[in-house]
Amino acid sequence: MDVAIIDYYANHGTSFLHKAKALWKIMFSALVIASIILTNEFYMLAGIYIALVTIAIWTKLPVSRIITIAAYPAIFALIFAFLVWNGSWVKVGVVVLKALAAALTMVLLIVTTPYPDVFNVLRPFLPRVIAEGLLVTYRSVFILLELTDELMKGLKVRGGLTRRKYLRNIKNFSSGIGLLLVKGFDYSEKFYGMMNIRGYGERIAAKDTKMSINRNDLLAILIGLLIFAIVITTVIDKRFLEFSIYIVACSILALVASAIYKQFVS
Amino acid sequence: MSHLHIPDGILPGWLIMSGWLLTALILAFSIYRTKSTELKRKIPLIGIISALMIVCMTIPIVPIAYHINLSVIAGIILGPAVAFISIFIVDLIIAMFGHGGITVVGLNTVVVGAEAFIGFYLFQLFMIIIGRDSIMWSSGLAAVIALIISTSILVGVVYMSQVNPEIVIGIEGDNPTEVTNEGNIPDQLIKGINIKSFAKTILILLGIGWLLEGIITAFIIKYVSRVRPDLLFPQRT
Repeated sequence: MDVAIIDYYANHGTSFLHKAKALWKIMFSALVIASIILTNEFYMLAGIYIALVTIAIWTKLPVSRIITIAAYPAIFALIFAFLVWNGSWVKVGVVVLKALAAALTMVLLIVTTPYPDVFNVLRPFLPRVIAEGLLVTYRSVFILLELTDELMKGLKVRGGLTRRKYLRNIKNFSSGIGLLLVKGFDYSEKFYGMMNIRGYGERIAAKDTKMSINRNDLLAILIGLLIFAIVITTVIDKRFLEFSIYIVACSILALVASAIYKQFVS
Repeated sequence: MSHLHIPDGILPGWLIMSGWLLTALILAFSIYRTKSTELKRKIPLIGIISALMIVCMTIPIVPIAYHINLSVIAGIILGPAVAFISIFIVDLIIAMFGHGGITVVGLNTVVVGAEAFIGFYLFQLFMIIIGRDSIMWSSGLAAVIALIISTSILVGVVYMSQVNPEIVIGIEGDNPTEVTNEGNIPDQLIKGINIKSFAKTILILLGIGWLLEGIITAFIIKYVSRVRPDLLFPQRT
């Protein structure tokens, strides 16, 4: 998982989701996650996943990269699915699709929203130490990534990581992490000190925290509501599940149309 | 790694809510306890330890589906109360990357937090028993034992997920397999997880990982004790 790439995507995108406010995107994510939790139907989950891939196309970001980032939990979901194996491949599919769709929902949120904006929405619900901790952690991840890059180069150049010397490699690697910890702590302490000197007052500055709603926000929330409404309908009245195959077909159509549009028009 | 990499919507609601409630209570207690000490001074340390955990957690050792947590290191350096805050931050951020479900953050924090808590106290105990000269053994052993216990908690959580009260209500007569799905739980959970095979698989997969994490923890603590002993032996919460 490349945190730096995700941060770049979040800050440099131009899609409607990038332009929508963090609050509404979080609500969109909450609605989709609630839909994923509520349904246990393979076709419904497949429909949601395909719809999310379609939205990923609309973000104008590298779709394969986003899908790959969001595919990581599938490894663990597969292990879990086979541990609870009851002879049904559909059930394995349900567990894996739940993991993939939920992960893609969260990844769509973070590749289109800078972290400080997400934290700013969460801030009123969190104690100060956690809110500040989130911000400092976010900043520290980038400090560490830079230091890790330098460290790995240094270790390789000086022969710290060599073939078949497993124990020595582990020792050097661990010492490297220790070094990262110490260096990172020094950097982080300086960063926090500077933040306070420059007038940091327990609040992260975000682009726009108003409750106003523009068409991008509206589109995001409408998509979330549409997915939720379809799922809740099938949960309340199981007869509607007969139409789930059509929902998948519609999702596929939207996906193909979006892919063609992206390929030839934009 | 004793993380629950279970997607959203698999575990029953009561278990997820219990996890969140327990996490909220422990967090409130941790913050209350930490207020008396220099909380502000600890924020950069929370940030860097959390960031280090995130970086390490996102590097999977693919053949055994394992990733190191460094939660015991968090416990040793930050103390159990502050480490719990740090672990909550880590779980919240990695859930945003889709690394485990967002609804499972509460349970994950409890399980990984237990690792930090046990690791911290075991480290203290081993330092007294073995002596301060054997800091590597103390930290390594503390890490391995803490991981074994936290993994047992994980297996327990998964086991509990099949005794959903809503499912128990649906049991008819003497046949425990005839249950109704009133709790919107996937059918495979209603039929029950084979807890023995689950525990066996988990223990085999994670056994190598525990050893690896124990060794890595030992070397990291040894390094930090040489370079910045003040990070390891200040007054902790």
